[in-house]
Amino acid sequence: MSEKANELYEKVQGKVDTLKNEDSVYAKFADIWRLACLGKYRSYDLRYLYEDTSREYIEKYKPAMIEAKENFVENIDEYVEKCINVMEKTNKFRVHYAKTNEEAKEVFMKELGDNKLIYKSKSLEAKDTGIMEILKENNIEIKETDLGDVLCQLLEYEYPSFTLGPGIQFTEEEIVAKIKEKYGIDLEPDAEKIVAYYRKNYRPELLNEVKVSLTSANAISAHDGSIVLIENEGNISILTRATEKHIVVAGISKIVPDEFDALMVAKIQERITNVDGAYISFISAPSSTSDIQGKRVLGMYGAKEVVVILVDDWRTKAAKENLFYKDMLKCISCKSCDFVCTASRAFGNVYASKYGIGGINIVRDYIHNGIEAAVKDGLFLCTGCENCTNWCPSGVDLAEMMKNIKKIATEKGLCPPPLKKYQEKILDDKNPFKS
Amino acid sequence: MTKQIFLGCLSSTHYKDTCESGIKIIQSIDSEYKVFDDVPCCGALSYHITQEEKMKQHVEYVNKWFQEHNINKITTICAGCYQYLTKYYPMFLGKDFKVEVEHLLQFLARSDNLSKLNINYEGKKLRFCYHDACHLRNAVVPIIEEPRKILNSIKNVELQEMENNKLNSICCGSGGGVYSIFKENSDYNTKTIFDQMRRGKILLTGCPFCYTAFQRVKKENNIRKPVLKIEDFLMKLINGVDPLK
Repeated sequence: MSEKANELYEKVQGKVDTLKNEDSVYAKFADIWRLACLGKYRSYDLRYLYEDTSREYIEKYKPAMIEAKENFVENIDEYVEKCINVMEKTNKFRVHYAKTNEEAKEVFMKELGDNKLIYKSKSLEAKDTGIMEILKENNIEIKETDLGDVLCQLLEYEYPSFTLGPGIQFTEEEIVAKIKEKYGIDLEPDAEKIVAYYRKNYRPELLNEVKVSLTSANAISAHDGSIVLIENEGNISILTRATEKHIVVAGISKIVPDEFDALMVAKIQERITNVDGAYISFISAPSSTSDIQGKRVLGMYGAKEVVVILVDDWRTKAAKENLFYKDMLKCISCKSCDFVCTASRAFGNVYASKYGIGGINIVRDYIHNGIEAAVKDGLFLCTGCENCTNWCPSGVDLAEMMKNIKKIATEKGLCPPPLKKYQEKILDDKNPFKS
Repeated sequence: MTKQIFLGCLSSTHYKDTCESGIKIIQSIDSEYKVFDDVPCCGALSYHITQEEKMKQHVEYVNKWFQEHNINKITTICAGCYQYLTKYYPMFLGKDFKVEVEHLLQFLARSDNLSKLNINYEGKKLRFCYHDACHLRNAVVPIIEEPRKILNSIKNVELQEMENNKLNSICCGSGGGVYSIFKENSDYNTKTIFDQMRRGKILLTGCPFCYTAFQRVKKENNIRKPVLKIEDFLMKLINGVDPLK
C-alpha cells in the first residue's frame, strides 16, 4: 500500500506546488480566500451591523444550539417521524423519505417528470446526494440562481470553491470578457454594472418561467414541519414562490426540534458569515387561498406543490452506531470552521474536496467516497490546531474527526511516507529528531 | 519519589541552550528536580498516525520508564509533551498513569514560585508579544493566563496582545507533522503572526515546534525581531542580558 500512499502524496504535492505559480487557478483562489479570512477572523470580534459583536452573539446562543442539535441526534427516529407526519398531514407537502442517496436520486428524477430544465439555489445536499450528477447524466439543464454559482457556470469553473461565495475569485474583467464572448454584450468591468445586467436580464426569467425549482433547507422544524431558508440575494424567495413545483432536498440532519430552534440556526448562520441575511423564509405549506366560499385551493401566486425529499443515507447509522463522524449531524453548514482554519488559508482550494473547501468537506468526501478520496483532498494538510472545534457554534468536534480519519488512513497504509518515517523513529528509536 | 524536568526530544536534540535555561530556572526554585539522559519520546507527534495498539504499547513503554525511574512528578518545557502526557496517557493507561504533569508556565505562575523567581529588569521599557501555541491553549487544562501572569509580574516589560491571541491564536503550521511534509502552511501563517506583532519587539512562545517555525520564517524573510522561548527570555532578564540582542 505504500506505493498508493506515495501516489496520493505526490498528487497533493503537485497541487501545493502550483500555489507558487501566481497565475495558477489554485493560487488565484488562495489569494482572495486569504484576504477574506483575515477580514473574517477580525470581524468576529468587531461590531458589524449590530450593538453586540458577532462573537458575543454566538457565545450567547451556542449552548441552546448545541442542546437542540444533541436532542435531535439522541432522538433521531422520533423527530424524523414527527416531522414527516406534520409535513404530510398539516402542511400538505409531498414527502419522500430516502434511505439512501440512490433512492433520493430516483425519487428526484420521478418528481422532475418530463421537465428538462431546473432552476436551483445553492444546495450542498444536491451535491452530497449526487443529484447534480444524475441531472447532468440525463441532460437536464441546470440553471443556477445564486450569482456566485451563476458566474461559476458562466466561467465553467470546476475547481472546489467556497460554498458561501463561489466565484469570489473572478475579477470583474474576467466576468465581462466572458459575457461578451458568450452573449456578445459589452459591459463595463464593474460589479454594479454586472449585477444590473443580471437583474435586468435574468430576473424576469426567474419571475415568469420557472416550472420546477430545487432548494435545500437551512433548517427544518420537526414540530411544525417548516422549511427554513436564509439568503441575501432574493433568489430563494423567487424560486420558492414563482414556481409551479418547489422541490426541497435536505438531509435529515437539518431537522431541529422546533421552529424557534430553526430560527436560531438561521440567525447564527447570518451572524457567522456577517452577510446581511436579507430574507429568512419559513415555508409551511404550498401557496393557497380560501377566499372563494371558504374553499381551499392550492397554488394562488406561490408554489402549487412543495415536495420534500428527506435523505438519510449515513445519518441514522452514524447516530445509532455512534460512528466517529456522528458530530457531522450537528453541523449547520455555517462555515465558521473554514474561516479560522490555518490549513485552509495556507492552501486555499488545494485543501478541499469536490463538495467544497476545508476540513468539513474532506470529512464529507470520506463519508461518501472513502479514505483514498479524503487523503487525495489533502487530509494530512490539517495541523490539528483545533481552531475549527473551538469556533463551532453547534459543538462539532471537527478536529477529532480529522484525527480519526488520519488514523484510518494510516491503518490503510496511506499515511504520507515522510510522516510515516517520523512515526517509526518515535516508536523504534524513541526520539524522532535524532539523526 | 522523584521530580523530573521533561525536556522533550525536540528541545533536547536541537535546543540545548533552551534546556539549560529551563533547568536553571526550575532548579533555582525547587532543587529536588532532576534531569535524565535518554528519555523516551512521549509520542506526541504520532497519535493520529499510529494504530491504536502500537500507540498503547509505546505509551506503556514510556510509563514503565517513569516507574523504573521512580518518577511521580514532571515539569516539562515542551508544549507538545504537556498536551500529550495530560490527554492521551490517562486515556490509554487510566489509573496506571500515576505521574503528575505540569508545564513550566504553570510551575512558574504559582504565586510562591513566582515570588521566588523575582525578576528585576531595570532596562528601558520593553514591548513584546506572546504567541499562544495550540498545544497549550487546547490542552485538557489550557494554559492561557499563566504566561501573562508571569510576564506581567516583571517591571518595565509590557505584553502587547496580538490581534489573534488566546483561544483565537493562529497556528504556526507545524502541528500534526505538517511541518515535515509541507512548509507552505508555516510560510504563510507564521508571516501573519509576525505581521500582527506591530509595536512588539520580541516574539515569545512556550512551544518548541512554534519556535522552530518562527526561526525558519524569520531567517528566510530577514525579519529582525528576535524570537525566544519564554524560558530563554526569562534567563536573559535574570542574567541582565539585553533580550533584544
